[in-house]
Amino acid sequence: MDRGWWWKFGMIVAVTLGTIWFLIPSYYSLVVMDRDQRNNLVLLQERLPKWAPPAKYRLNLGLDLQGGIHMVMRVDTKTALQKRTERRGQQIATYVADKKLGEVTAETDPEKLQLTLKAKDPATMDAIEKDVLSTFGDFKRISRSGDTLVLAPDESQVNRFREEAVDQAMLVIRRRIDKWGVAEVDVRKLGTDSIQISLPGRSNPEQAKELVGTTAQLEFRMVDDTNPQFFAQMLQANPAPAGSEITLTDEGGFAQLQSPSREALLAYTKDKVPENRQVVTECIANPMKKNECSSYRTYLLDKAVPLTGESLSGADASVNQMNEPEVNISFDPAGAREFEKLTEAGVGRRMAIVLDDNVHTAPNINEKIGGGRARITMGRMGARTRDEWLGEAQTLALVLKAGALPAPVTVGEIRQVGASLGDELIKKGSLSALVGLGLVVLFMALYYRKAGLIADIALLLNGLLILAGLAFFNATLTLPGIAGFVLTLGIAVDANVLINERIREELSHGKSAKAAVDQGYDRAFWTIFDAHVTALIAGFILFFTGTGPVRGFATTLIVGLLASLFTSIVVTRVIMTYFVHGKNAQTVSV
Amino acid sequence: MQILKNKTNIDFIGKRKPAVFISTLVNLAILVGIATVGFNYGVDFAGGTVVELKFNHSISAADVRERAQKGGLHDVSVQNIGSADENAFLLRMGGVTQLTEENAEKAKKAIEALGSMRNVYADLANGIINFRSATPMAAETIKKAVEDSGTGVQEVRVLGESQAGAGTDYQVVASGMADKVYSALGAGLEKPDFEQRRVDYVGPQVGKQLRNRGIMALLYSMVAILIYVAFRFDFKFGPGALLAMIHDVIMVAGYYLVSRREFGLTAIAALLTIVGYSVNDTIVIYDRIREDMAKFKGKPLAEVINIAINDTLGRTILTSGTTALSLIGLLIFGVGEIFDFAMAMLVGILVGTYSSVYIASPLTIWLDERAAAKEARHRDEMPKPA
Repeated sequence: MDRGWWWKFGMIVAVTLGTIWFLIPSYYSLVVMDRDQRNNLVLLQERLPKWAPPAKYRLNLGLDLQGGIHMVMRVDTKTALQKRTERRGQQIATYVADKKLGEVTAETDPEKLQLTLKAKDPATMDAIEKDVLSTFGDFKRISRSGDTLVLAPDESQVNRFREEAVDQAMLVIRRRIDKWGVAEVDVRKLGTDSIQISLPGRSNPEQAKELVGTTAQLEFRMVDDTNPQFFAQMLQANPAPAGSEITLTDEGGFAQLQSPSREALLAYTKDKVPENRQVVTECIANPMKKNECSSYRTYLLDKAVPLTGESLSGADASVNQMNEPEVNISFDPAGAREFEKLTEAGVGRRMAIVLDDNVHTAPNINEKIGGGRARITMGRMGARTRDEWLGEAQTLALVLKAGALPAPVTVGEIRQVGASLGDELIKKGSLSALVGLGLVVLFMALYYRKAGLIADIALLLNGLLILAGLAFFNATLTLPGIAGFVLTLGIAVDANVLINERIREELSHGKSAKAAVDQGYDRAFWTIFDAHVTALIAGFILFFTGTGPVRGFATTLIVGLLASLFTSIVVTRVIMTYFVHGKNAQTVSV
Repeated sequence: MQILKNKTNIDFIGKRKPAVFISTLVNLAILVGIATVGFNYGVDFAGGTVVELKFNHSISAADVRERAQKGGLHDVSVQNIGSADENAFLLRMGGVTQLTEENAEKAKKAIEALGSMRNVYADLANGIINFRSATPMAAETIKKAVEDSGTGVQEVRVLGESQAGAGTDYQVVASGMADKVYSALGAGLEKPDFEQRRVDYVGPQVGKQLRNRGIMALLYSMVAILIYVAFRFDFKFGPGALLAMIHDVIMVAGYYLVSRREFGLTAIAALLTIVGYSVNDTIVIYDRIREDMAKFKGKPLAEVINIAINDTLGRTILTSGTTALSLIGLLIFGVGEIFDFAMAMLVGILVGTYSSVYIASPLTIWLDERAAAKEARHRDEMPKPA
């Protein structure tokens, strides 16, 4: 045996051991742990031996195999866009009147999303058209005839608005699901106007739909600051239960309770506040992970909700002359009156902006605010950079809009699999994979004898490699994925058949065992390579264009083909070489 | 052990003309069938609702249908799945929300009866009704009115006061079909005697998107494979491989067409797998043809192809056999889509093997003959050197 052989043999042993080592978290997660704890990464990490790979490298089970809900929500950007166009139409009419250009009425066509301006005096239309188009740059001219001017929102503006609407919806959905406390949720954008949500282990699609599909609830509520030390006294009188991690913090002279668990805070403060007051928490964003809370803080709010997001008509982030980011909000006429009353009574107090039971911010009211326009100046830059600071203002504007300008979401797709069905499917799925594999292994050993056994070893290693590969990419094993697994093993067998048939052919031409093996492998190589590459091309295209189950299938196919290339070309050859060259055999058993 | 004891010498290519003729006929028939009859689209592509229920006592499909109809579900199809003693059923409905055309009309009338309304319009695809009311109304009132007209309501949204001061906008969101199934079948029972095992609910918009993406994936991969083959082999091999691929995809589509099995995302996965398998098989034979062309220089291409196909016949039978063998488990234990997938694969393996011999090779020969004829003509037309 030459040195090259030993080098290759060592590599194969290393790969095999590495593969087995890599499957340890998957083994714990799927076999050792209970079904309901399967998705709990923290628990898995605790249970794993110290020398095992991190818990995140484990094989996930698809929702079709473990039960759960998969949803696609469609953001109704059309309705939102229509509302916006209507609002802009009124602004244009007011603008025309203010500038004394004439008098126009604005009408919105909900189907075509067009704005029709009609002038009272056709003679003024020329001036109006010129001025309006240069001032309202987000609109372009469609047609004009006499006293009528038809406008439509500019395409790029429409796209930006759509994107914003989907971002808003995602923000709200994410926050709601967090509140539900589901581990391992996955919320992501799908296409231009859809959001995909995975909820493993959940079984009530109607409840999920309600949770995710309802419009965001935005409220303006007064903070009870009559006793700034309210929470400090509460904690003194009733020490927090051990292990609840409730601590006291001070925010600008106001005592607050803080804890990583929202439930713990709410449970502790329950029944400890006056009847007309309510404890609502604020989420302290995790600086490391977007859209996640590192801890929660308490606020004592009036139970009464004087103003809701329905009265809001707009919110935008900007930078003022002092170079501070601020959020400008405006109310509809009724809302403006209520807001004026509220701020007049509450000068010097704080007003909490609450979205879906979560305090987003609580700015101080400096003076009575009339006219339906208010400004929230972002205070204290602190350790934040200017961009982060501005980003916060934009998020707040987004939050306000999410409650104010509903881009309603509707359910595009729901797939739910009950846990018992999931268990049945995984049993049947693995059984069929095992039966298929067993039959092929048996056949190869009978048909090719020793060479068949070698191919079988490669096949088993191939199976392990696929599982480890899926675990490495944190991929999800789905039902079509199991089908992909079986198919890849079929292709791997084909490679071995190709090689063995070649060796037989060479032997029948009267070649020696050594020469037959070498030539068999050399000649079969490019055929195998081409066959695998073409299948890989199909796999990759499937991966990039497919969604859901198709994607799961593609992942298995890609990982499987790569593994098959390695096992059929490298692994079996090293073993065959050992028998014919190392043992100097004169015959070869194929 | 060996499958073919002696070297075969079958004249495959000699029979290529009737084979091509029959294949073309079958392919055309399938295409016409797809165009006229169409696939049995699953909810993935057609949109709709499928609910899988498992009863905890013995019940027949007819009884389930009757109960569903009594509960107000009229256009529902009930299908027994698994063995009879499992008492599991698939209930399939066209709609995704309770807002059918008929319901929407009734709901519209109910809303209009509430006061002075403008712009009442129903968006059936999303299951919502939008309208503007001159006077503000309580969401509860609207909800009750619509529910009394026969449509379940999930939520009434207040979209806010209109800017022009012409009233307030509202949106009524109808509840889903699965909701209705649960309540219709459980009507009159203290607690349901069934378990809701699976709900698939796909809106028509999403369905269209999923289908288009699936078909695009199929086309993209075919083009990519064609480019690869043309690059790795001679140009004249490319079209043959492509034609064989298309042939196989149509044949497998034919399986879904004739068997009336549900055509959904898994079917697309099956078609794509067949693309991979078909080209895999074609390439193995092409590889051998290329090798033999170098070995038997001067022999006509048809003869070389015959030798190559005969030489690889053992391997071809074995590979198809073992791949089919690996599917047996899926065929025996596979349920629903997985079983269909395995069946489609089986069909694909058979036609894939056939097409490498009878579709890909004849086209290659034809292209080769044409190229030779063109070259000959070109030579004749060339002026003789003086």
